[in-house]
Amino acid sequence: MTTESEAIAVNQLVRRYGRTDAVDGLSLRVQRGRCYGFFGRNGAGKTTTIKCLLNLLRPTSGEVRVFGLDPARDEVGVKARLAYVPDHVAFYPWMTVRETLDYFASFRSRWNADTERSLVDRFGLDVRQKASHLSKGQRTQLALVTAICPEPELLVLDEPTSGLDPIVRREFIETVIGAYQEGAPGRRTVFVSTHLISEFEGLIDEFTIIDRGRNVLTMDADTAREQFQKIYARFPSAAPPIDLAGCRVVRQQGREVELIVDGTHVNHAPVMMDRLKALSPETLHSEALSLEEIFVAALA
Amino acid sequence: MRFQLSFKSGKPIYLQIVDQIRSAAAAGAIKAGEPLPSIRPLAEELRVNRNTVAKAYAELEGQGVIETVAGKGCFLRTNNSPFNKEVRRRLLTDEIDEAVVQAHHLQVSRSEFLRIAEARFDAFEDKRSRAAGKAGA
Repeated sequence: MTTESEAIAVNQLVRRYGRTDAVDGLSLRVQRGRCYGFFGRNGAGKTTTIKCLLNLLRPTSGEVRVFGLDPARDEVGVKARLAYVPDHVAFYPWMTVRETLDYFASFRSRWNADTERSLVDRFGLDVRQKASHLSKGQRTQLALVTAICPEPELLVLDEPTSGLDPIVRREFIETVIGAYQEGAPGRRTVFVSTHLISEFEGLIDEFTIIDRGRNVLTMDADTAREQFQKIYARFPSAAPPIDLAGCRVVRQQGREVELIVDGTHVNHAPVMMDRLKALSPETLHSEALSLEEIFVAALA
Repeated sequence: MRFQLSFKSGKPIYLQIVDQIRSAAAAGAIKAGEPLPSIRPLAEELRVNRNTVAKAYAELEGQGVIETVAGKGCFLRTNNSPFNKEVRRRLLTDEIDEAVVQAHHLQVSRSEFLRIAEARFDAFEDKRSRAAGKAGA
């Protein structure tokens, strides 16, 4: 069912807590070498899905595969090939930064000491500092160092930048682009769950929007930005009747119409533009939506 | 050179990079034989995926605009249009057609359109000569 070219395959995943379906029949596939966005509101089921990938939770039904392996059966095989940065990072408080790095390195078959040195330097971390004395930003930076130095094939990030200051957020993303993708970009896969979509926009090749445990939309990022369009038209007098199939009307008032073309209909934006042009508007323009706007439109 | 990427143009990011390098080359902002920024620092600076920058460079190489020298990076080629005149004219015609359609919708007349085109040519040549002056200084 899964092939080696897939870093992650989720098939009909269900995870129930009591009577709540946190994840409710989710399917998605992440090709190797891609940077995949996993977008959803708080409580949409993102973290539960990720925990199933890491065997921190067992699926109620359905299956998850990482590099074709079942994380529940082949936990070591899976974990040896990935690294994970959670939203709340915790380290042993009595260890120093140096000891923490050595401790993490001891579990890994590879550990790039040059990368470690340059990142510790870049983040300005004091290796003699106790983990308990680190700020939230510094803890996340340390977690990122421990995730990147083993040069894993898959980097799983769960809301990595929420609650951090803008400088730390920027550095975090630049590090993922620079240091993580450095070695062999084709073999470095990123799976990032976030609701701070605009920050990761430039990084994302493909994404899935999850809501109430279900897959709402999976699309290639460039295709989505090309096909989801916001169109504004103003007519000389009251707007004539318009066939609005495949669109969501944002505003329709007097002489003005503003609508969002549902990008899942291939090439529907130019069709709508032609349709509106034929009605001789006095003004007509369209603009693409950013991924964040697409997210909002998809959940509207 | 400086890049201005927009996630709201509807144009894939790698194509925006391709277009901006092509226009920088046409305007003399990068000259034949000059190096382009390396992939990693450019990706970090623009905060885009490295694959996006790599794809843009591969596209530019395919178009014959740049060449890759192993171990040294990418450089702008001397003759940066591998297309014959016929093909070049056709590429340009498509772009002009779009602008003409746009002019029609914006109710810009033919003579006004041609005036704007003249003015843009002047601005372009001005920019080019200023870039050349700066390089000479």
